Amino acid sequence: MTFGRILPGWFFSLCEYTLPGSWFKNARWFFAIDETFHIMALGMLIGTLVIVDLRLLGFGMRRQSVAELSKYLAPWTLLGVALMIITGVPLFMSEAVKLSRSSPFFYKMIFLICAVTLHFTLHRKATTSNAGQGSGLGRLAASLSLICWLGVALAGRAIAFL
Amino acid sequence: MFHLLSFVQWLNDTRISVYLRESDWPFPIIETIHILGLGFSVGTVMWLDLRLLGLAMREAPVVDVIEQLEPWAIGGFTVMFVSGSLLILSEPLKCYNTVAFRIKVVLLILAALNVLYFHKRVMHNVDEWDRNMPWRAKMVGVLSLVLWLGVVIAGRWTAYF
Repeated sequence: MTFGRILPGWFFSLCEYTLPGSWFKNARWFFAIDETFHIMALGMLIGTLVIVDLRLLGFGMRRQSVAELSKYLAPWTLLGVALMIITGVPLFMSEAVKLSRSSPFFYKMIFLICAVTLHFTLHRKATTSNAGQGSGLGRLAASLSLICWLGVALAGRAIAFL
Repeated sequence: MFHLLSFVQWLNDTRISVYLRESDWPFPIIETIHILGLGFSVGTVMWLDLRLLGLAMREAPVVDVIEQLEPWAIGGFTVMFVSGSLLILSEPLKCYNTVAFRIKVVLLILAALNVLYFHKRVMHNVDEWDRNMPWRAKMVGVLSLVLWLGVVIAGRWTAYF
């Protein structure tokens, strides 16, 4: 499945060939620099999620409670997501037409939507109180969260190869 | 005398190197594992560093953060090191000739020395850090952040130069 089969072709051309997309596409070092920030934000974002999710699964920082860890790291997770989107949108615009035919990109967006939805629903429920600590709900939220976010990263990496 | 270039050329011509370079799947798969390892290694090291600097997880004791995150950082680093070695093996000559890759190797060595310094010279009175964080520990934190971000940047740019 690809976005090209859902959305009209002019949308992708518009993104890529009009400002600011055309600038992102043609500026010589833009893609490489923006991609670098995208990867750095990934390290930061996955780091916070891994720490909280491992804790929900009963690993890692077990001397702190889930709620404590989540309170420390939640603002950084949101900052990470924000940076990913801010750096990711220009990456998309610089090659929108190519991405309209890319199935890894399609699945990346599906994983992303699932991950963000999960984060503000089940995952939030499991981390705001200590209810998620060692419970089935917590483990489920953590497993799904790791699968979705690592899915985003995997599918993202696959865009370059498939 | 040992010649690095001739060693690299020999490595480049080994069957395993040619196989990794010329077949379709190994490189993307190894590269993907490398990126996932990054989330675990840099992802955890970064929070350790930010804790040393007092910028994140301030309410958690420093010892707790170090002791509990370090195994994951080391685990992640092992994954990075093994998958990274295979990536080098897939194109030794290209790596040798890439400036960004050489910078990456230097930064990695400096990062390793930084960790060594931290464990040998800085960490001995870690129990007192919650009251008073020594400047050396903060320095290690800053250096670690800068060096690892440099490793990521140089790594990403290895693909471009």
